[in-house]
Amino acid sequence: MNTYLFLAYSIVWVIFVGYAWTLSRRHARLRKELEDLKARIGKAPKP
Amino acid sequence: MKKLFPPAVHLAVLAVWLTLALYLIFLYAPREATMGEVQRIFYIHFSSACTALLAYFFVFLGSMGYLWKRSRRADDFAYASAEVGFLFCCAVLVTGPLWAKPAWGIWWTWDARLTSTFILWLLYIAYLMLRSYVINPGRVEILASVVGVIGFVDAVIDYMAIRWWRTQHPQPVLGGGSGSGLDPRMWVTVFVTWGAFLCLFSYLVRQRMAMAEARRELVELRRELAA
Repeated sequence: MNTYLFLAYSIVWVIFVGYAWTLSRRHARLRKELEDLKARIGKAPKP
Repeated sequence: MKKLFPPAVHLAVLAVWLTLALYLIFLYAPREATMGEVQRIFYIHFSSACTALLAYFFVFLGSMGYLWKRSRRADDFAYASAEVGFLFCCAVLVTGPLWAKPAWGIWWTWDARLTSTFILWLLYIAYLMLRSYVINPGRVEILASVVGVIGFVDAVIDYMAIRWWRTQHPQPVLGGGSGSGLDPRMWVTVFVTWGAFLCLFSYLVRQRMAMAEARRELVELRRELAA
């Protein structure tokens, strides 16, 4: 395969997969934090 | 939207569409007579460029929506479109030189199209930096929306550059008049690839907006807890 062609497709693939991966990690971390906080509020004594 | 087209279904459609696009690019589209195999970069270069320009149009629409109605959803849409559009703009600036070197013999030239695309990339960076470094709530959305609206001028110039000026960059393939056509199999490949890229764009924007919503909920809960 042509080197330029190989590089173009590989780099574009890395850009999108890399972003999707970091996005899903950020989202998962945020969801976990949200659940923890909701649990804390649920546990807190009601006035 | 979530019920009609859940993210898992969206992802499955995207996977099938991207696979089909790759099949067409490498196995269906004919080999270009003068440039040979390297011309296959065109399919992702063109699709990335169209998507990056469309993304900035969405930044513009979302920014206008925020400035006009103070709609948080519009602002989330603008922010998500900017972040994802930036990726597509990076893809354009990577695939362009990798195609230019074997086709023109140079990596880069400061012609109208390439320069305006580079400015678009800088605008995306400016918008995202503004969102990251200005932390005053309410103020950051307004400032970013102003950048989103003003920056759209460059997106228009970028789109029109090859129509207004003689450039090193080839004349438009889409809507370029007579003599700008492609082989019918190439057209099919172009549209399927662009469709796949739009599907990817919409999936990433959707996920990014869901994240913004979760973050807002988290901030509100923290505020509630602190009160």
